[in-house]
Amino acid sequence: MASSSSSGLTFKLHPLVILNISDHYTRIKAQSQPPPTSSAVNDAVSSPPPPRVFGCVIGVQRGRTVEIFNSFELLYDSSTHTLDRAFLENKQELYKKVFPHFYVLGWYSTGGDAQESDMHIHKALMDINESPIYVLLNPSINHAQKDLPITIYESELHVIDGIPQLIFVQSSYIIETVEAERISVDHVAHLKPSDGGSAATQLAAHLTGIHSAIKMLNSRIRVLHHYLLAMQKGDLPCQNSLLRQVSSLLRRLPAIESEKFQDDFLMEYNDTLLITYLAMFTNCSSTMNEMVDKFNTAYDRHSRRGGRSAFI
Amino acid sequence: MDPFSSAAIARQTWELENNIVTTTAANDNSAASDAIFYYDGAAQDAFQQEKPWANDPHYFKRVKVSALALLKMVVHARSGGNIEVMGLMQGKTDGDTIIVMDAFALPVEGTETRVNAQADAYEYMVDYSQTNRQAGRLENVVGWYHSHPGYGCWLSGIDVSTQMLNQQYQEPFLAVVIDPTRTVSAGKVEIGAFRTYPDGYKPPDEPVSEYQTIPLNKIEDFGVHCKQYYALDITYFKSSLDCELLDLLWNKYWVNTLSSSPLLGNGDYVAGQISDLAEKLEHAENQLSHSRFGPLIAPAQKKKEVRKTITFASFIT
Repeated sequence: MASSSSSGLTFKLHPLVILNISDHYTRIKAQSQPPPTSSAVNDAVSSPPPPRVFGCVIGVQRGRTVEIFNSFELLYDSSTHTLDRAFLENKQELYKKVFPHFYVLGWYSTGGDAQESDMHIHKALMDINESPIYVLLNPSINHAQKDLPITIYESELHVIDGIPQLIFVQSSYIIETVEAERISVDHVAHLKPSDGGSAATQLAAHLTGIHSAIKMLNSRIRVLHHYLLAMQKGDLPCQNSLLRQVSSLLRRLPAIESEKFQDDFLMEYNDTLLITYLAMFTNCSSTMNEMVDKFNTAYDRHSRRGGRSAFI
Repeated sequence: MDPFSSAAIARQTWELENNIVTTTAANDNSAASDAIFYYDGAAQDAFQQEKPWANDPHYFKRVKVSALALLKMVVHARSGGNIEVMGLMQGKTDGDTIIVMDAFALPVEGTETRVNAQADAYEYMVDYSQTNRQAGRLENVVGWYHSHPGYGCWLSGIDVSTQMLNQQYQEPFLAVVIDPTRTVSAGKVEIGAFRTYPDGYKPPDEPVSEYQTIPLNKIEDFGVHCKQYYALDITYFKSSLDCELLDLLWNKYWVNTLSSSPLLGNGDYVAGQISDLAEKLEHAENQLSHSRFGPLIAPAQKKKEVRKTITFASFIT
């Protein structure tokens, strides 16, 4: 059912949506299966498959970019295949009050693959948004896979066997984030010390983050390099589109050498150095101040033995 | 990441050294550790009847915040820019721990003079709680959060009186403050959880926790009320699925980590902090010239403050 989409829309997904869906799923799963007692052996095979959860995704569409910011739950009756409209409208109202810019972009669900029954829900949402998107999260934990188990489907009208039908087609997406989101996701992902500890541990944690990011960049570049070498040797068929992308990337690199860039960069660099210098200066003067105090204490007590004993 | 990469080993060593206990075990027993998501209505009701906090003002000592709640609160706080925003948190209690499972924003614009949410916010609250209950979130409202953009995590005079009122009528209730500006500029989440002492209660002298710089114009408000509430320890938890997803998310995230630059985002905030520091130093200097023995006491405070701002400044650079 899924082939690649041709609508040309770019999708941007925020991590908040991912966590929302995961939380919804975990919640429903936990409610339906009370926690096992500590003595019972956990046998995943015997428990029934966890129920699917459904919800709505909201966000903004600007031109050809669709940005998904948030999501909320929906009530869906799987026996009668009906969506609770009143609930949906109610929730929409509430969210409109707090986030006036967002509107319904589509819906989400959990499961392994898109199913036939999903088309019903999709069609039901078409009167709110004429081209809704369907976000599918696969909650089965697979340690081997490297990619996020999330797929975004769009619906397209295809002619199959002479009958025009709506089918789901897969689209690619990128993860978009704002700085605050990134920091909190980072924070929770690596469970950094929340009390701050000392400045040293904070700095260490921050640098570790940057270090792993740079390692990732390095490994990716190495992979690209390896691939290009293989193509050159003739091991792999030449893919012109890829070569074009690589060459455009390489052509952008010299932009960093231009004079204007150097000027701006040095100006910023100088600003940071100035602040650090100022900080060091203040630190030095306060240490010196302290030293003078200690000196005074130590030496005064010697000379004025009978005088003021409680100097501080 | 594969289990033998140096990054994974480094992380595990670090976690071991810092006694990090994740609620999700690394092995396959995920159902037991996701138990925190199970809402036991009967147990919660029984706890409500008991009211063990009525006798001990210092009863609740810890807070556990879910990953989702934290993300929602920080994003909401940041989206307010320089305006204070507020919202409510839903969750449950567990002995002396308050567990925050979720948070939602309230459509009110908070200013320093507004004490409580207005009537339409109450309506929103009720509506939202009802729809949530239908959708499967059974927890009750267990606290409120608001943001202090740029001036630190503490309770102002108004906040203290609001929270005291809440603690009289809506127990158990928790107050959380988030500073989104400092979060972004320092690269770590600035959050604090507080509960107030009832009127007239004299708290035992506790050691001053982490010192934070507070702008001069707010410092009076801070000082007057800082003894009327105490801070709770915050830990975070996430489900096994969350763990997985966050790990995989990192694969796409590293680009953002590299490309983020705290300087660009917070240039004016940093400049503000430095000018505030300059004012404080002048203040200290004036105090110095006024008294003879004063110099030994006052600058000690100022020095600590100065040192804190220095580490903060050098950290962001």
